[in-house]
Amino acid sequence: MSTAQRIIRFTLNGEAIAASVAPHENVVELLQRLGLHGARESCGQGLCGCCTVRVDGLAVSGCLYFAVQLDATCVDTIEQPFGEDGLDEVQQAFAQCGAFQCGFCTPGFVLMSRELLAANPEPSEDEIRHYLSGNLCRCAAYPEIIRAVQLAARMRRARS
Amino acid sequence: MTPFELIEPRTLDEALRLLDPADPGVRPAGGCTALMLMMKAGMLVPTRLVSLRRIEPRYRDIVASDDAITIGANASLASIEHSARVRDELPALARTLRTLANVRVRNVATLGGNLAHADPHMDLPPLLAALDASVQVQGRGSSRYASIEQLISGYYETTLAGDELIVAVRIPKRAARGCAYRKVTTRSADDWPALGIAVALEREGERVRAARVVLGAAVDRPTRLLAAEAALQGTRLDETSARRAADAAADEARPSEDARGSAAYKRELIRVHVRRTLLEAWCDEPVGAVRQ
Ligand SMILES: Cc1cc2nc3c(=O)[nH]c(=O)nc-3n(C[C@H](O)[C@H](O)[C@H](O)COP(=O)(O)OP(=O)(O)OC[C@H]3O[C@@H](n4cnc5c(N)ncnc54)[C@H](O)[C@@H]3O)c2cc1C
Ligand code: FES
Ligand code: FES
Repeated sequence: MSTAQRIIRFTLNGEAIAASVAPHENVVELLQRLGLHGARESCGQGLCGCCTVRVDGLAVSGCLYFAVQLDATCVDTIEQPFGEDGLDEVQQAFAQCGAFQCGFCTPGFVLMSRELLAANPEPSEDEIRHYLSGNLCRCAAYPEIIRAVQLAARMRRARS
Repeated sequence: MTPFELIEPRTLDEALRLLDPADPGVRPAGGCTALMLMMKAGMLVPTRLVSLRRIEPRYRDIVASDDAITIGANASLASIEHSARVRDELPALARTLRTLANVRVRNVATLGGNLAHADPHMDLPPLLAALDASVQVQGRGSSRYASIEQLISGYYETTLAGDELIVAVRIPKRAARGCAYRKVTTRSADDWPALGIAVALEREGERVRAARVVLGAAVDRPTRLLAAEAALQGTRLDETSARRAADAAADEARPSEDARGSAAYKRELIRVHVRRTLLEAWCDEPVGAVRQ
């Protein structure tokens, strides 16, 4: 191993891929290079959640994660398609509740909300606020976001 | 960014061999959350990062014995927060982790990286000092235990040699111990705190048998407030004795002045919050810690 580019292999949204990465490259930079723009760097400091992706089932900040460390992992991003129209309940609920204005923060909120509902199918409003406290929305769509998570929780329960 | 290599050895021994005390650019790496921020800020220009995340899985374990809970240095903060053992026996630790950073940081940040970083504003060092934790430090062919006060020697400074690694943290069990931590933020809720106060009280009936009161954030390293501890010894804990100990704490503490408050203001915060933390610790009832 050296300071040069390295080939890594990982699963991206269900597909096996290989990529050449430099040691200093972070996950957001790599994904953008691969044409995926849903995770975007905003604060670059782990605070805002705009760069959220899932690595081996855990939500992480792509801006604070070295791309080389994706080697041999499974990565899910907001581009991962679901169901017939490509959207899961959380995305449908966000659309239905208008839980965004500019949409810059939305991928991160959607991924984090999915994590929350997987761990806690019936979260209280306090639990939603607490779990999402590491995600910032500059347009301040917070009330709509909370309603969307509550709606998504109901939709998920109705399905199962 | 200056080029560097990131190596992921499979064993602790290999990791220790890859460290080089002669080169300050060679650094161990846990979750890399603090390292990446330091690199982005230009505070750290590494030549080699030795990642510990692929070493033997046992360094992630949380193990309970009769007299202690031992947490591997590679355990993520989230795994500690969600551990049933920790929730039952060290509820103050689980509660503190809930408000440390955010879900994504806790998913990757490790206990070892947290303690080695030695940023004075961090929440776990004062809490673990109050819990009388000892840190197991491994070198090439040597192993030692250090208390938190022995480990953290100043502002971002530790007594770790360049070829030593934190491998575990041992938290001794104590009968009838209550514990609490308060993070006091004076600006936004997610800002670094103006002070952090950790208290552990060992009860004997209605009295305090032993107390540890530790101040963080307002000083350059976790600092025990010995006069406050002495004021609590043998007392019946109530509003009056808590107030007396909090006054002693405010008198003895030497808080620094910064954007989060003047020294005088922080002294008043200490007075108020030591009292409240004492009362919280007194009411903390870990599972299995029967009141005597
Ligand atoms: C957005 C954000 C918010 C935060 N909020 C809080 C907060 O509210 N409260 C709080 O307390 N902290 C907070 N932090 C700090 C956080 O706790 C640390 O970044 C984290 O714990 C560091 O762990 P790590 O495993 O990522 O360490 P790394 O970044 O991997 O390493 C940190 C340091 O430790 C060294 N190191 C790593 N592992 C070892 C080891 N096993 N032995 C010896 N040395 C080692 C490294 O060389 C480096 O110097 C926050 C961080 C972020 C990014
Ligand atoms: S850009 Fe990564 S958390 Fe803000
Ligand atoms: S919708 Fe604009 S930042 Fe959230």
